Amino acid sequence: MSAPATKSPGLWTSVRELPSNVWSSIFRHPLPSNDLERSQTSFTNFFLHLHPVKVHRNTLRPVYTLGLGLISLFLFLILVVTGVLLMFYYVPSTTQAYDRMLDLRGTVAFGIFLRNMHRWSAHGMVAMVFLHMCRVFFTGAYKKPREFNWIIGVVLLLLTLFMSFTGYLLPWDQLAFWAITVGTSIAGYAPLVGSQIKFLLLGDTVVGQEALLRFYVLHVAVLPAILSVIVAIHFWRIRKDGGLSRPETVPAKTDSGVVQLRIEPGKRVFGLQGFVRGPFTKIGNVPDDSVYSWPNLLMAELFVFVLTVSIILVVSLAFNAPLEQPVNVMHPPNPAKAPWYFLGLQEMVSYSAFWGGIGVPTLFVVLLLFAPFIDRNPQGTGRWFARERLLANTIFMSLAVLNVIFIIIGTFFRGPNWTFVSPF
Amino acid sequence: MAVPKPDPQASGQMPRRSLLAWFSSIGLFGSAALAVISNLVFFKPRVTYSPSARFSIGKPDEFPPGTRIAREVDRVCVVRDGNRMAAISTTCTHLGCIVAISDTGFACPCHGSHYDQDGAVTGGPAPKALPWFKVTLAPNGELEVDKNSPVEPGTYFTV
Repeated sequence: MSAPATKSPGLWTSVRELPSNVWSSIFRHPLPSNDLERSQTSFTNFFLHLHPVKVHRNTLRPVYTLGLGLISLFLFLILVVTGVLLMFYYVPSTTQAYDRMLDLRGTVAFGIFLRNMHRWSAHGMVAMVFLHMCRVFFTGAYKKPREFNWIIGVVLLLLTLFMSFTGYLLPWDQLAFWAITVGTSIAGYAPLVGSQIKFLLLGDTVVGQEALLRFYVLHVAVLPAILSVIVAIHFWRIRKDGGLSRPETVPAKTDSGVVQLRIEPGKRVFGLQGFVRGPFTKIGNVPDDSVYSWPNLLMAELFVFVLTVSIILVVSLAFNAPLEQPVNVMHPPNPAKAPWYFLGLQEMVSYSAFWGGIGVPTLFVVLLLFAPFIDRNPQGTGRWFARERLLANTIFMSLAVLNVIFIIIGTFFRGPNWTFVSPF
Repeated sequence: MAVPKPDPQASGQMPRRSLLAWFSSIGLFGSAALAVISNLVFFKPRVTYSPSARFSIGKPDEFPPGTRIAREVDRVCVVRDGNRMAAISTTCTHLGCIVAISDTGFACPCHGSHYDQDGAVTGGPAPKALPWFKVTLAPNGELEVDKNSPVEPGTYFTV
């Protein structure tokens, strides 16, 4: 800058330029119009820095990801917003909770609508997180170097289920009370520590005021905080593990004159960052089949966001969240059913409480956690149902379908006293 | 430095820094472990608000011979057979639902467990029989049931 530029501008000029100065202090860059500005915008904006500056084309293919992870995130955001709003009217007390539900339905403006959104988003999130896991498995995306992110994902699935479970008790209606009575009894079947866990969870020997308060605190504070931190790690690892998985073949266009450079210590000098990033570092403008995140990735995300919110809004307008009779400790509904995503579990529990409620589910979770270390075949990553992964995909598909079948039986084919009934 | 550094390894001593690092680690991780344990203690309530496990069910005359009455609040079924009395739990041993009195004994509405008149499992997923509780006669002439004191099924209290 030359000397005259250091002269302080006059008062009038400062006032006149105030809006644009404030604006440019918040947003360092104007809306980008070239590649440099696109990079700068992604780098310097807090909300955009989650994204890489450039993404591989494969990441943006809707048929590859189906947007399931993003949908799960947006449902979680809807749940946080609607959940915080509902907290303004909810009281975690056995004498008041149910009345507050009736208030939401009858007197609170948009109360029933917010509760519908919260309930249907919660169901949707469980479904979407499960489907997201299926997508990751069937495209082989859990393989090295993404094993740890798969484990984090399994933890997130369990947390999602626990979030749903703790929220289920809060309306304090018959559905809630008996589902939690059955659910916590299952926890009591765990060997050695089962009854202790049940007692800590309920704060008492039976489901009552202490349990309602504990579930409330877990549901609105503890679990969302843990979930948010782990989701952040999940996203961070996507970047650090080299972005979304994609087919292993990289077209190296040597004839075009641009050679893909590799890091070979000793031959060239690189920044420290280049080394710690490992095998994903690219030097120079390599033809790597990637596009700028702004606007390609952002538009895709916006589309998924609008789609998710729209569907939740429409569903919440069309269907009301269930609210049954207030809790009657003396009279369990017959049959007393858990929420649908636990009905597979409940169906198994009806054969054997320990094996159905603890043994088999624990085995499933352990299998899921260790899947990347059991299946170490490096081939078939980045494609749906790759032929090289026939065995792994078949096993996973069988277990997933089995789970769905159990859920369908528990939902539609079980009547009073859990006897087999035909829904037709 | 002018003074040559002594080599602690040669003299078989632990370097001062390592020793301090060990002590600090034990202190830090020990405190963390203590914090976890004290939180678990905090979470375990010392007082619960649920009804007492020991309660009165009334005088023996209120139960004529042949009675089988389910007391839903107390979750027991009071049985009188001649001058013998017993209290059988009505909490399903499967998953804690309340069993109903049926023609053949007890039936659970949640997962279809069946029990006979004495609470033995006759069908369904229930893993064990319904427990029987100790019945005593209090000084005021009323019967008392203690759910903390299970007794062998078939153990009656003679009134």
